[in-house]
Amino acid sequence: MTPLERAEAKFGWKLVAPTILILGLLILYPLMYNVYLSFFDVQLNGYKTFVGLENYIKLLTNTDYYSAIGTTSLYLLGTVVGTTLLGLAMALLLKDPFKGRGLVNAAIMLPYVAPVISVVFGWQFLFDPISGVVNYLFVDVLGIWSERTNLIGNPDSALWVVVLFDIWKHAPIAYLLILSKLVSVSRDQYEAAAIDGYGPIGRFFHVTLPELYFVLATVVLLRLIWNLNRFEDVYLLAPNVQTLPIFTYYQAFTGVIDQGLAAATSVIQLAVLSVFIWFYIKKIMKW
Amino acid sequence: MAAITLKNIIKSYDKTQVVKGIDLAIEDGEFVVLVGPSGCGKSTTLRMIAGLEQPTSGDIIIGDRVVNDIEPQNRNIAMVFQNYALYPHKSVKENIVFALRRLKVDNDEIERRLSEISEMLQLEELLDRKPADLSGGQRQRVAMGRAIIREADVFLFDEPLSNLDSKLRSHMRTEIGKIHNKFGRTSVYVTHDQVEAMTLADKVVVLHDGYIAQYGTPMEIYLNPTNIFVAQFIGSPSMNIIEGTLFNDYLDIDGHHLPREKLSNVAYQETISDSGLKVKVGIRPDFFNDKAFFSETDLTFNFNNVVIDLIEPMGFDKEVLFNLAGGSVKARLDLRSDITLGVKIDLLVDLSRVLIFDPETEQRL
Amino acid sequence: MLGKRTLTGRIGFALAILLLVSFSLLPFAQILSTSLKHQYDWGNPSLIPQTINLDAYKELLGLTEAKKVEIPAAIQKILNNPKLPKDKKEAIAAKYTSNENLFPFGKYMLNSVIFSVGAATFSLIFSVMGAYSISRLRFKGQVVIQRSVLFVYMVGGVLLMVPLYQMAMNIGLASSLWGSAFCLFLIYIVQTLPVGMYMLGNYFRGIPFALEEAAMMDGCSRKEAIIKVVLPLSLPMLATVFIYCFIIGWNEYLFASVFLKQYPEFHTLPLALQELFVSKNAIWDRIMAASMLTLAPIVICFLFASRFMKGGKTDGGVKG
Repeated sequence: MTPLERAEAKFGWKLVAPTILILGLLILYPLMYNVYLSFFDVQLNGYKTFVGLENYIKLLTNTDYYSAIGTTSLYLLGTVVGTTLLGLAMALLLKDPFKGRGLVNAAIMLPYVAPVISVVFGWQFLFDPISGVVNYLFVDVLGIWSERTNLIGNPDSALWVVVLFDIWKHAPIAYLLILSKLVSVSRDQYEAAAIDGYGPIGRFFHVTLPELYFVLATVVLLRLIWNLNRFEDVYLLAPNVQTLPIFTYYQAFTGVIDQGLAAATSVIQLAVLSVFIWFYIKKIMKW
Repeated sequence: MAAITLKNIIKSYDKTQVVKGIDLAIEDGEFVVLVGPSGCGKSTTLRMIAGLEQPTSGDIIIGDRVVNDIEPQNRNIAMVFQNYALYPHKSVKENIVFALRRLKVDNDEIERRLSEISEMLQLEELLDRKPADLSGGQRQRVAMGRAIIREADVFLFDEPLSNLDSKLRSHMRTEIGKIHNKFGRTSVYVTHDQVEAMTLADKVVVLHDGYIAQYGTPMEIYLNPTNIFVAQFIGSPSMNIIEGTLFNDYLDIDGHHLPREKLSNVAYQETISDSGLKVKVGIRPDFFNDKAFFSETDLTFNFNNVVIDLIEPMGFDKEVLFNLAGGSVKARLDLRSDITLGVKIDLLVDLSRVLIFDPETEQRL
Repeated sequence: MLGKRTLTGRIGFALAILLLVSFSLLPFAQILSTSLKHQYDWGNPSLIPQTINLDAYKELLGLTEAKKVEIPAAIQKILNNPKLPKDKKEAIAAKYTSNENLFPFGKYMLNSVIFSVGAATFSLIFSVMGAYSISRLRFKGQVVIQRSVLFVYMVGGVLLMVPLYQMAMNIGLASSLWGSAFCLFLIYIVQTLPVGMYMLGNYFRGIPFALEEAAMMDGCSRKEAIIKVVLPLSLPMLATVFIYCFIIGWNEYLFASVFLKQYPEFHTLPLALQELFVSKNAIWDRIMAASMLTLAPIVICFLFASRFMKGGKTDGGVKG
């Protein structure tokens, strides 16, 4: 290394040093500390006793844990499929310019940028058994349901409200990712397919879909990664839907507090998440 | 003002060597062009002079300083970049005077130099515009102005004309030549275009695969290339390389016998065994002439009755192809030659321009 | 031309757009509508209030006069009971008179602004430095750092809540007001820093290297080249990143609830709103008005940022 190269390297390290320090101290270290904690019985006040694998055994024999895994799986399935399909539909619909597209774009991006806390109450009101418009629509107007029900009050139906909420909130981001790929597909390809005799549907399956294959995989993977950790959107709208993050939160901070058990839950979840992230970095990012 | 010396410069990235040992002495005030195909290490060499890359080994000396460990900003060098690299957020004027402002040159002096340079480069009307509002040629001139105003010791040009269309390119080439004549700074100019090399340079450095293939004045390189690579790289259309056999008395090309004692540009004087010596013969297309318009002398050789396979009219010239020794040979004739395909004509070649090369080493004999 | 539009096609298209926009905007319309309705109007499915009621907004923004609260007669009787000790009397009286500032919205908003703007500022500074370093400078370990940043970018907050809380506990920060606030502040920086670095790193990569080299040829040092050339060129992106980080902080609930729950005077808006919702004072119009006011700064920021986001709008769009 020449002195100038060494100076450059030194400057580089100097600039990332605060970042490394902060991220190391407040993310990487806690992740390791979490593994350590998972072998202890941890009190809220910080008092710890070593219990070995007991937390893991407790966790793996806890039926609530398996039901949380089940709920999480349904949540992931519903949101991933819903978000991707709606995002794709939106991208196809809004691909070509038309008058007022800017406004429509702004309108559909709004759910994505709005703070969760400022929209959950609106959603709760929509599903409110007494005043909500959903019950009004299905009971009084359409007559599909025989009586007004508290959809959010019941954990089973609340799960689907939460899924719908997530689709509503995150389809825009899938839309943006898909759209940016969609507009880059050259017109020639469509014209060539049209000349080869394909109609709109044939063109979709033979031109659009193969081009979108990669970006759709990206969307699915990203949804999995973010939604596996999704906390606020679920907890604030329907605290009775126990996906894994909410399960962990309850263990750690409410009722019979057992932070060691919460740590063990997080460790397992991190392991799963790491697989997704590894896959993402390896296959999709060119970072 | 400063001379530049490169001493055994080597540059490797990871394990691949890009520059494999370059020695070069550029005199004060000289205009030197580094030319070569892409990947030959010419840009890397220029960037090492600028300080934007560091040599893996070897010394770079500018003036009387070894500059290896001196940062680019302290080398007192001005550079024109391939894509101009104008600051998009600054006006033309601010782009040009940026360096002077930084050096806290006083305002009157800045204005004086600015008006001189903007007049010379016809930028007066453009001073308040942003680079995005300029055409390619205008951006090029701003980039030139930014470099000149510094009055730096050394000017570096990294393929400055490669983004212009051919008409603008030849215009700017002339401008660069004029500017050099006016300021007389040591200049190093990188290009892959051999026309730029020929027209601008005091000296040309032909680089090939990380080595200097030849260093000399444009005419030396054109007339006396030291190897087949240089011979073919410089000159357009490029030099014909033809199989031949050298005997003690003559050079045999496909049955044509060129008298050896008239090949005044062949230094090779050894005696040759009777079976002859396989050689590659180099003859530039420019040195063929149609016998119909030129008289035969004892310094010319007549390739009689060659059959023309292809004609490419170029305006004043026409390039014709014919077969010789199993290869296609090109000759450049002028517009008077009225030829049609398949016709047989006599072509004269200037014997003093015939070169021979070793077929193994490809070096001149 | 492809996709020539028939009349039915046009109508279908318009309907689809209408449906999509309605789906996106319905909850917002509901919030706005309810925030403006009187209580008797809530059960009415129409989104248009029969009469506009601005009381909730007035109350939240502190525009109403402090009401003199009547103490009910029965309570008054108890208070008049001479046997009751004086401090108990006062406590009872306070319960009925301290109603005037039920929900100090302004204070919570200020807390939220301080946390999010402060964290976004630090985050932006560190991400500029870090992103420049990993995208522009050559040194060993660069790739590892890049990958790690991406990794931590995707590790969500839930996985960190227990260890971070325990760490804060161990060093005694979690047990004091300012300590907790400090922890939360740091956590907001950490939550936004990887995003910022990721977005800016991609952006810096897109700025031609030659511009900085030109600046160096013009006599600038690396630092000057960054300040005089790279940063001015990145202004739109810097604004976008700042806003993005700001939004993340503004929206955050989890850690605020972990660290600040017991310190009401430091509650941020999400925490305060949730507390309001579960409290006895939950009245739909007030909650909805508070929602609208929480939403407003974000919408303004979004409209501002979307102007700049034309170029690389998916850069930031990966998060969420």
